[in-house]
Amino acid sequence: MPLQYGLHEMSIAAAVLDAVRAETRLHGGARATRAGLRIGELSGVEPESLRFCLESLVAGDDLEPLAFDIETRPWTRRCLDCGAEFRVVEYNTACSGCGSAHTEAAGGDEMELSYLELEEPGCASRSNEKS
Amino acid sequence: MRVPLERKVLNENDRIAAGLRERFQRGGVFCLNLISSPGSGKTALLERTLEGFDASRRMAVLTGDIQTDNDARRLARFGFPVRQITTGGACHLDARMVERALEGWRVEELEILFLENVGNLVCPTSYDLGEEARAVLLSVTEGEDKPLKYPATFHHADLMVLNKIDLLPYVPFQAALACENARRVQPEIEILEVSCTSGQGLDGWRAWLEARL
Repeated sequence: MPLQYGLHEMSIAAAVLDAVRAETRLHGGARATRAGLRIGELSGVEPESLRFCLESLVAGDDLEPLAFDIETRPWTRRCLDCGAEFRVVEYNTACSGCGSAHTEAAGGDEMELSYLELEEPGCASRSNEKS
Repeated sequence: MRVPLERKVLNENDRIAAGLRERFQRGGVFCLNLISSPGSGKTALLERTLEGFDASRRMAVLTGDIQTDNDARRLARFGFPVRQITTGGACHLDARMVERALEGWRVEELEILFLENVGNLVCPTSYDLGEEARAVLLSVTEGEDKPLKYPATFHHADLMVLNKIDLLPYVPFQAALACENARRVQPEIEILEVSCTSGQGLDGWRAWLEARL
């Protein structure tokens, strides 16, 4: 059962750490030093609040010292007339290229683990064997 | 060594939600996730909805709150199966809570399953519950700019129910502006105006539901 917190970003942060643990297991138990996150403007997650929650949860945890790199992704739509993908500014959902109102949702609700930086597998154990 | 990934942070929730969605689709169950601020009238809308259905209909409700089973008691009076999910602090329902709460129910036999989310316009947005549609309630005692303040929630909604319209003569709320704001963040959103007190607009709401069965 994942941890549950009243604060929204705290429960998302707990899910991020679960995802980091799952991915490091898939990569032979290598230690992660940095995690890249992709957070969309429409995801409902505030990046700075998420960073605070991640850092609070990692402090004193076996994942410490894991650093985070949060990339904010813009709210985008795709034009059904000219095909352009454009950023929505000031809630204007009409195509910024041709002005068409026929557009569809494209991006902005990302909430993804985009990369992990892992220590080279086995470094520590090999040096132990030598000594 | 950098390993590129595309792992969704909530993939465990999404996996459970996908399983629920498949169950609902297999059984022809219309599952609706109701989201709003506290006090916008989710429970009142469900009371009026259940009250209007013949007892032979197969409806059920899961209602989420941080504490108390008051909503479940309010809704159980109409004779349809109702279960309270008490989240104990969590500000939203997640798919696992829904899956657990459905244990022992023959979900596939339902026509409609209503998921009344925890009153909150932020957190429920991120959590797929396996629903077929998402409705956000806004009441006229709130601000017309709520869709702009909480764009993620309105952007992911299929329907906006504007509630308490019987109060329009007494509050400075501009309904047309609220609808315009909702369409700015979600051009495809459907909008219904209702009053759970006077009953105005509830026929349209029931017709909207029936059209999805």
